[in-house]
Amino acid sequence: MTGASWFRQSSILPGFGLTLGFTTFFLSALVLLPLAALVFKTTSMTWAEFIDTVLDERALASYRLSFGAAFIAACINAFFGFIVAWSLVRYEFPGRRLVDALIDLPFALPTAVSGIALAAVFSPTGWLGVKLQQYLGLQVAYTWVGVVVALILIGLPFVVRSVQPALVEAQRDLEEAAETLGAGPFTVFRRIILPAVLPALVTGFTMAFARGVGEYGSVVFISGNLPLKTEITPLLIVIKLEQFDYNGAAALGFTMLLVSFLMLLVINLAQSWSRRRYVRADN
Amino acid sequence: MSIALDQVTKRYQGVPVVNDVSLNVHQGEFLVLLGPSGSGKSTLLRSIAGLTEIDHGRVSLHGRDVTHVNVRQRQVGFVFQHYALFRHMTIGDNIEFALRVRKVKAAERRARRKELLKLVALEGMDDRLPAQLSGGQQQRVAVARALANRPEVLLMDEPFGALDAKIREELRRTIRQIQRELNMTTVLVTHDQEEAFALADRIGVMHQGRLLECGQPDDLYTRPATRFVSTFLGAANLLLGYRTSRGVRFSAAPLAGGDVPREVVAVLRPEEVELCDDESAIKANFVGHGRVEELLFGGAVERLRVRMSSDGPVPVAPGRDGAADTGSLFEVSRTLPEQRGFPVTVGQRVAVGARRIHVLPTPISSFTAVAADATAARQLQDSPLLATLGTRMQTRVATRIGRFERAPPGMPAIATGPDCAAEAEWHLTHGAVQLLCVPPTAALPNHVVIHALDAASRRATLAVAASLLRHVAAEAIYLGIQPATSAETERATYMRDLLDARSSAQADHGLDMRTELRPGAVAEELQKELAAYEHSMLVLGTSNPAAIQRDWLRALLEQSPARPVLIVNSARAETLPEG
Repeated sequence: MTGASWFRQSSILPGFGLTLGFTTFFLSALVLLPLAALVFKTTSMTWAEFIDTVLDERALASYRLSFGAAFIAACINAFFGFIVAWSLVRYEFPGRRLVDALIDLPFALPTAVSGIALAAVFSPTGWLGVKLQQYLGLQVAYTWVGVVVALILIGLPFVVRSVQPALVEAQRDLEEAAETLGAGPFTVFRRIILPAVLPALVTGFTMAFARGVGEYGSVVFISGNLPLKTEITPLLIVIKLEQFDYNGAAALGFTMLLVSFLMLLVINLAQSWSRRRYVRADN
Repeated sequence: MSIALDQVTKRYQGVPVVNDVSLNVHQGEFLVLLGPSGSGKSTLLRSIAGLTEIDHGRVSLHGRDVTHVNVRQRQVGFVFQHYALFRHMTIGDNIEFALRVRKVKAAERRARRKELLKLVALEGMDDRLPAQLSGGQQQRVAVARALANRPEVLLMDEPFGALDAKIREELRRTIRQIQRELNMTTVLVTHDQEEAFALADRIGVMHQGRLLECGQPDDLYTRPATRFVSTFLGAANLLLGYRTSRGVRFSAAPLAGGDVPREVVAVLRPEEVELCDDESAIKANFVGHGRVEELLFGGAVERLRVRMSSDGPVPVAPGRDGAADTGSLFEVSRTLPEQRGFPVTVGQRVAVGARRIHVLPTPISSFTAVAADATAARQLQDSPLLATLGTRMQTRVATRIGRFERAPPGMPAIATGPDCAAEAEWHLTHGAVQLLCVPPTAALPNHVVIHALDAASRRATLAVAASLLRHVAAEAIYLGIQPATSAETERATYMRDLLDARSSAQADHGLDMRTELRPGAVAEELQKELAAYEHSMLVLGTSNPAAIQRDWLRALLEQSPARPVLIVNSARAETLPEG
């Protein structure tokens, strides 16, 4: 052992200084700087102007749709994404690998393409839209339901991909132990599987939600974009930009940023609190 | 009977991992299932708990047939190798889990929790999380949790596997104490023989899915019935001995006076070997001279390897060097006082004595491939079936070219083909106790058909079949065949005889097989049964080989595709002194 050993890090990546430098640089250049510019742009407005823009009736309706649809979609994804992940991890069936690969498709597809495809299928003349209209009286395209459908498509891989490894890790013998102790399938699920997978599920939910709030490409084709009804906030921002109302766009962007950040912070804090319960204490 | 297993079989992808295991565990008994990894011991334990469904057989707990009862309703406590504690629950919640799912009242739960924590000496740990405890403490929590609902039996799957030696020993003592205190019927699975000895009232040794032997630890150690158990429980030198009317000798040299020795397998434990500088100083039975080849100091005991002279005892298994003319290698262990009495050095010539030997009751001692010329003998020796059997049974496969005056000792093996029936007949009438007819390309069988041509040969046939099946992961069927025209009462008596023979075979050899009675002609029924499986083998017993017609035998041996046939000659077997 030489005297130089004290600065060696127990990591396979080179040097702490270098990696931290990169981290700081990338965060600054790609995240913080543009965001700061956004905030700075907003400050060129007066308070009154700002409040006017941000609490405008049309803006409020768009917040409701953006956050509400993203929330509903994330909830649905959390439920069905869990089922998809479960069947992929726990069962062996023909075509499992194919299904596994399909999950990632929404990641790769240009969002506009998925939007147009969804609109075609769910539009009142599309082959699924016709049936839904006929039997359930439900119009999907050009309503808020369409927005939710688009966000479900976009958000699903986030949930599946975060839950999958947790399910693989969840030990089979824990379930067996619960069974030998007299627990039925439902109790095993609620008391054993769910607590083990919950942190990952929350992570997946958070990511799906965050992505849903910011989604633009796929939504604008299926939502119909009626002001006060099916207009999402990102679209409103684009509209403001097209009218050269840069300040208004910045103000809306700042609001979204603030709300999203607060929500993510709360979810993360809740999660780290729950995770701390699992982490091995010093022994 | 607390746990009763009857012919339990479990297959994975057609391969039996637990093969026809029947076992009874008494109330309050501590049974240890011991075996190497992959021997099926964990699967057997899991099928008692209901965690693994069995394909065949019956499981009863306290007289209640639970074969088709699910895990929840079986009332067993199960302790897993990696504790399987619920990490998001406190120790108290873990222990109360079984009571909570049964909606037991809070006050009662708390009382039980307290009681159990006291039992495993973890009082006051209620609110800790599993991650805050050491491995040994976690496993004690797992034990307490398994006991919470007062199960009828406690099952433990390698519970000390993940712990270090010191904690393991301590926990072992705790478990034994708790078990005694509660008089809890317990089955523990392990691959560690030391652990088995320390805990067990009775040890069941498993190998290749079969329960080979089950008995008290000292019985199994001093009087094992199988090669596997003799070498798996402690170390053993396996030697070919020759039983004569005056006892067992180790020299293959022929005796004067026409006394035909019967080949047997003898176990000589390393600690039963006596070393002296001269033959006359040996207090025990003199075995031969040897040279010390290796010497290891091991604290309380010294371990030696002594190479015996080439005319000395014949090892059952050929040495690693494979050369036939070097003598056998003896494993010897000596205590400190013995070392002080007669210190030895490497290379020293010593006289070797055996204080105690144990003759295995196994009827199969060694194989001799018999052929007309050296190439054919070599081919037969290397044929997949014979070579694998030799390796699995850790026994010698010798060769012999041409006919001698008598059949070779042990089991002669001949190749199937033309003239096979005549050759078989010669061996059976010239002193062969058993005879193996091997198709040159036959693989190990996975289906063994057993049939005794007459009632007198049943016992011997089943003994040989049992010995064979210990080393072959095959399913066995014991066929009784009666003419289709026989009377109902006659058939019933015959069936009862078959079942009696089977149960005595199980009692004697710890092996179990299916029994079926078929109407029809013997040769046809046997051929039909053999043809139904790709790798089948026949074990055929007779007490009077001279009565077998050559044409009948030819039809069986020269059928196509050829199947391995093992013929047991019980007339010869029973004239010799019993082991």
